[in-house]
Amino acid sequence: MTTPMLEIRDLTVRIEEREILKGVNLVVPKGEVHAIMGRNGSGKSTLSYVLAGKEDYEVTGGEVLLDGVNILELEPSERATAGLFLAFQYPIEIPGVATMTFLKAALNAKRKANGEAEMSTPDFMKAVKEAGKALHIDSDMLKRALNVGFSGGEKKRAEILQMALLKPKMCILDETDSGLDIDALKVVSEGVNALRSPDRSMLVITHYQRLLNHIVPDVVHVFSDGRVVESGGKELALELEAKGYAGFDEAAA
Amino acid sequence: MHVPVRLGPAELKLIDQLTAAGAVAEAERLSGAGLPTRRVEAYHYTDLKQLLRTVPELAAAATEASVPALRVAGAYQLMIANGVVQETGTAPAGVIVGKAAGGVLSTRDDVVTRLNMALTKECLTLDLDGSVDPVIQIDRRTEGAAGHSTSAAKIFVADDSSAVIVETYAGSEQAHLGNHATYLALGKNAKVTHITVNLAAAKATHFASNEYHLAEGAQLRTLIINAGAALSRTQLFPRYEGAGAHADITGLNLVSEGQHADITMDALHAVPHTSSKPLFKSIARGRSKAVVQGRLVVARDAQKTDAKLMSQGLMLSDEAEILCKPELEIYADDVVCGHGSTCGQLDEDSLFYLTSRGIAKADAETMLVRAFLAELVDPIEDEALNEALTAVIEGWLAGK
Repeated sequence: MTTPMLEIRDLTVRIEEREILKGVNLVVPKGEVHAIMGRNGSGKSTLSYVLAGKEDYEVTGGEVLLDGVNILELEPSERATAGLFLAFQYPIEIPGVATMTFLKAALNAKRKANGEAEMSTPDFMKAVKEAGKALHIDSDMLKRALNVGFSGGEKKRAEILQMALLKPKMCILDETDSGLDIDALKVVSEGVNALRSPDRSMLVITHYQRLLNHIVPDVVHVFSDGRVVESGGKELALELEAKGYAGFDEAAA
Repeated sequence: MHVPVRLGPAELKLIDQLTAAGAVAEAERLSGAGLPTRRVEAYHYTDLKQLLRTVPELAAAATEASVPALRVAGAYQLMIANGVVQETGTAPAGVIVGKAAGGVLSTRDDVVTRLNMALTKECLTLDLDGSVDPVIQIDRRTEGAAGHSTSAAKIFVADDSSAVIVETYAGSEQAHLGNHATYLALGKNAKVTHITVNLAAAKATHFASNEYHLAEGAQLRTLIINAGAALSRTQLFPRYEGAGAHADITGLNLVSEGQHADITMDALHAVPHTSSKPLFKSIARGRSKAVVQGRLVVARDAQKTDAKLMSQGLMLSDEAEILCKPELEIYADDVVCGHGSTCGQLDEDSLFYLTSRGIAKADAETMLVRAFLAELVDPIEDEALNEALTAVIEGWLAGK
């Protein structure tokens, strides 16, 4: 059996005294797109933050293997250069940091970690322009400070642009559909679909089925009360939509 | 009954120096009042009686010069070393350089300015007319063994003229006491950028007082950087004296372990229709203290004054202290005046976002600190000057 891209084993996580993740088990093989669906407060976003290495959470047990390597002891920046990427539900606005400066720093950090030379400015500009075209990102947007004054749709497109540039092997998309109208949802989904590849896996976190009409997953996991309670094919999402989450709560109990 | 003030060694030395300079009235004044303590409002966070423990001998004439602390490519260089105005080469078009006897500041009830006036023997004079092209740099040094030196410059910028002036304060690595003064008068519609960079020696004490006079329509931008000296205090006295006068008074305290830096502004909006936007920032790391005080006085007739005072602090360690105090004294009834202050650490969410993209934590921190400072440095249009100032800030960030 080949090594899965992401393997989560019995992951338990606390924030202060409250246990939020209660033994998560999940395997995403290479090249597959998996969806996690669950209601608000079920721990989905916590899972995404814990995978990316946010400090506020205390991991009390379990392992997370990225391409066979345990990443729980790594800094967020090391996880990123190892190929993990989290598209934020609410991308952070950072006044005073130019978008292009940020993109270049991120790209070169990754190249440095891989033992590659820094990208020249013309090559970098070309790469950004190319990646931006498909996402309808114009140069005006890139001239602004990072995410500052971006609309909801612009922020999400900027996240996908970063993903396209950094070429991660494991992408986590946290509620990427939130705050998007139907047109923006289409652009973002097309951007994500264009990045699907046999060498790249994705974990799409959402609580609506509609995103999964655009980004069609190989496997759907239902998340409830801090753990995966059921897994199945894409039709599971439709079942959820019809029955609601209540039908799956027993499994969690 | 009047209780006599107990004088410490610093005060006694200053009194001796004043007496020797023939400033008997000032010597008596200091004997009576002593150096200001925290009970004096303007020195509330910079208690000079506590902080200034020793005063070195008055500096003798400089015999050697250390390397310039700041090089601005293409600038016209002037130098005052140990209070003595140095000879210079040919002045650029529109610049008349001279010297005059005595100090330059207006009389006020402030010990730092009074000491400067009493002890300064000569001042540099600059008359600027037209659009002065090169940046003018006034390089002030205290050289040789630890010494007490005072210096002064008086600058007139003619109506409709423009200039960029940068002043630097540095010298040999000794426990100097430097006390420097600038009088800068802007004629009608004059446009001036005035930058001061305190790069005084690590053990030094640095005082600077800048008095600004703005005539009708004059536009001033300042950037006051306190990066050197163990103890520093820069005092700003802007006077808005003509309708349409406007100033962006900006300042920056950069303090590390053991440093105490103070920027204190006392502004007077004297006539109707003037505006100002004072913006002060402080970054403190290690056990250090940064002080920002801003006083805005709006005269009875100065209707339609528009003034917004802001202070922002960034604390990079648990032992750092940033102390801010606004004082608004408004006698007119139709004005827009406000003040605000923020103080905190680097934003954790921003740091996480940057590091989650692969940027190492230390680099992400530097990016955020640069972002915090961009508002002050970006408006400096002269490229060479902007680069030189950026280098000072980057040097500080790198811990030099």
